[in-house]
Amino acid sequence: MKDRKTTHFGYQEVPVDEKAGRVADVFHSVAARYDVMNDLMSGGVHRLWKRLTIEMSAARAGQTILDIAGGTGDLTARFSRIVGPEGTVVLADINESMLRVGRDRLLDRGIAGNVEAVQADAQYLPFPDNTFDCITIAFGLRNVTDKDLALRSMLRVLKPGGRLLVLEFSKPESKLLEKVYDQYSFRLLPFMGKLVANDADSYRYLAESIRMHPDQETLKQMMADAGFVDCEYHNMTGGIVALHKGIKP
Amino acid sequence: MTDPTLRAGFDAALETAINAALRYDPGTRARLAQLDGRALALDITVPPLPLVLCIEGDQVSVRHYWDGEISTRLRGSAIAMLRLLRDEDATPAGLGVTVTGSSALLAELQSILQDLDIDWEAPLARLLGDVPAHTIGEALRTAGQWLRDSIEQAPQAAAETVSEEWRLTPPRAQFEAFVEDVAELALATDRLEARVALLKEKLAARGDD
Repeated sequence: MKDRKTTHFGYQEVPVDEKAGRVADVFHSVAARYDVMNDLMSGGVHRLWKRLTIEMSAARAGQTILDIAGGTGDLTARFSRIVGPEGTVVLADINESMLRVGRDRLLDRGIAGNVEAVQADAQYLPFPDNTFDCITIAFGLRNVTDKDLALRSMLRVLKPGGRLLVLEFSKPESKLLEKVYDQYSFRLLPFMGKLVANDADSYRYLAESIRMHPDQETLKQMMADAGFVDCEYHNMTGGIVALHKGIKP
Repeated sequence: MTDPTLRAGFDAALETAINAALRYDPGTRARLAQLDGRALALDITVPPLPLVLCIEGDQVSVRHYWDGEISTRLRGSAIAMLRLLRDEDATPAGLGVTVTGSSALLAELQSILQDLDIDWEAPLARLLGDVPAHTIGEALRTAGQWLRDSIEQAPQAAAETVSEEWRLTPPRAQFEAFVEDVAELALATDRLEARVALLKEKLAARGDD
């Protein structure tokens, strides 16, 4: 029998061509209550993490911004106000359910005109070279099957001098915080997922996928290897989350 | 170093408070909108808290990181900056605040903040109805006036308590009389010293004869 290449899906090893489908199932399942769960899981702190991402993006009026794995449109809404009528924000997500929830939410809030919604795979971004001034991917990179491929794809569509911001769960700086965080993720998180979204497995996957995601230094090196320069990261909430920044030369 | 999340929380709270207050003063919002795109950097030294206030439309955004152009930069203590922005007669030099960049933005913001007239009754009226909101508004205004009067009179009241009630220091009039007596005594001593010196000179002159 021919050996198939595998990758991780949480703590499980799955064939590479199956991961995207499995991740899609998770997000189809949680899409409707994704925002409520985010607030519940992080105590609302995810809004502060995203706020810092916006600040570090240095977005300006008239710019073109790509919000990959934009989910329910939190970042897109804020970028839409900053870039104004002369600019454009592209809300991209591989998952149709998440994209639909995000697009509907933006429309409900009257955010339209300078926002486009595109169903796109971060590994094969369907945009011409040198299109965007800034790309953000918040809590999305860990679900991508081939992260190196995705980083190179983002580099391609960024304009020279444009910046990539990766907001992602990472490795806590203190051992004590790591232990508390482990207990929270593997015991409380699936329980809350069961209670609120009636889906403990999806939230168990989210916790596992966070642990399998590269730590701060590894991701920084991956960005440099993909061709980004001036790569740096900022730990937030003791390193539970890190914001990586890289510039296209 | 403070965790960026805490700092972001502070910035978010400050921004929400500023914009919530502005919501009830349309005049100020309209004047702010004319400054759209300008950024005021506040390098607060005490407590150490650098922040940038960016004017976005008719709202204010509070930022920690800002890569764009700064129109005006102020450096000084938080109290000095608040006084500078709120007090018409305050000058940066008098308060120890350093200003770099355009002073026009500072002057415009000073003018806007001095004319700030927030209608606090409007949000209350929406929640409680006009009559209760007005009653509460009146009570708050009375309390505010009482607080302002108390603060103004506080130094005098404190001085009277210390001298009259606790007898830790003499009353002002008694102290002034004492100072006058001391001065008079000093003068009399000087005069006496001069007379003694004169007598000594006279005695010395007789001895020579």
